[in-house]
Amino acid sequence: MGFFKGRLTLRRYRIEDPIPHDFRDTFEASLEGQAFRDTAALSRGEESVGWVCPDNIMDTEFSVRDRWLFDHYILLAMRVDKKVLPAPLFKAMVAKRLEAWCGENQKDVAPARVRTDIRSAIEADLMNRTLPRVKVVMAAWHLAEGWLLIHNTSDKLNDKFRTLFRTTFGLVPAPFSPVDFLDQDPDLAAALSSQGTTDFTEVGR
Amino acid sequence: MSALPHLSSDFFAWLWYTTEISGGHLELNGAELQIWVDDRLSFRSPSEEQAGALLTGSDAPRGAEAKAALSAGKVIRELRLRIAWQDREYGVTLAGPGLDMRGLTLPPVPGEVGDEADVLYARMEAVEQLWRVIATLYQRFAKVRTTDAWSDEVLPGVVTWLSETA
Repeated sequence: MGFFKGRLTLRRYRIEDPIPHDFRDTFEASLEGQAFRDTAALSRGEESVGWVCPDNIMDTEFSVRDRWLFDHYILLAMRVDKKVLPAPLFKAMVAKRLEAWCGENQKDVAPARVRTDIRSAIEADLMNRTLPRVKVVMAAWHLAEGWLLIHNTSDKLNDKFRTLFRTTFGLVPAPFSPVDFLDQDPDLAAALSSQGTTDFTEVGR
Repeated sequence: MSALPHLSSDFFAWLWYTTEISGGHLELNGAELQIWVDDRLSFRSPSEEQAGALLTGSDAPRGAEAKAALSAGKVIRELRLRIAWQDREYGVTLAGPGLDMRGLTLPPVPGEVGDEADVLYARMEAVEQLWRVIATLYQRFAKVRTTDAWSDEVLPGVVTWLSETA
C-alpha cells in the first residue's frame, strides 16, 4: 500500500472547515454510515461505493480505530465496485440463442418480443456470473493541518472520492492551487494572477 | 486567483531552465539543493489538455527535441525531477495545474523507525518536506515572474539557452 511502502501518486486538497471536538466518535459513526455494502445483485452499469478499512478492502469494521486513525492522520479507502457486461460474450450468446430459437420455430427472424426476452435472460445470467470490477482509492488526511492527499490523480475517481467524503464528513475538500503557496503574500498572489502564460515563440522576436 | 494554475507551465519552464543553467545546484533557505529535470518531459499545445509530445530517457531534458518543443510554442504539461539535499533524495513527476505528484519516490525510512504507524508518519513527513521545497521554489518563481527580472533576465536567458542546441 502506497502510504506505507512504494511509490506515491498524489493529488492534494485543503480541508478548511474545522473538525468536531469529538471527531473520533463522530467520524467512526460517519464511516460506518457510508461503509461499503457488498451487493451481489448489482445490475448492469450500477456501482456500489463506500468506505472500507485501509488494511483490508473486505472489512468495514471501523470500531477498531487503529485500522484507520493514526494519531493526527486518518487513512481512508474508498471502494468502488461496478459490474460490466462482457459485451463480446453477450453478443455471441444472444446470436447463438436466436439461431437456436429460429431453428426450433422454423423462422428466419425472431420477433422483437423474443429477442428482448432472450437478451434479458442472457444479461441476467451473465451478470450473476460476472465478478465486479473493483477499484480502491486511498487517501491520507492530516487533521491538524487540514490537508488531504488522494492517492490517485484520475479526475473521475477524485470527484467520486470528494463526493463520498463530503457526504460522509460534511466537509469539502478544496482543490489545491499553487496560489496556496503564496497565502502569506497576497500582493504577490494578486500580481501573479494578472500574468498570462508565456509564449516562448514570441520571446526571441 | 482561480487563474493562477495556468501558470504551472511557466513554473515548469522556469524550473527546467533554472536548474539547467545552475548546473543542478540551487541555494534554498540556506541549504544547498541538488535538483534537475530527470527522464521525463511532456508537452502539449496551449489550447489542448492532453499531452502532445512525451520525451523520456535520461537525455530528454538536455536534448534538442525538448528545447525545440518549447521554442515551437508547446507548453510543459509535466516534468520529472530529482531533488536531493543532505542525505535525502526524491524522484517526482509534477503534473498539471494543481501540481499533482506522480511516481513519487521518497528517501528510505530510517532503520530505527518502529511499527506501521511510525512508517506512515515518517513517509508523510517526507512528503511534507518535499512539498515545502516545491512551495519555496514556486514562491521564488512567483517573485521573478511578477517583476522586470522575468523580461529583462529570464526570457533573454531562455532564448540563449534554447538556441544552444535547438
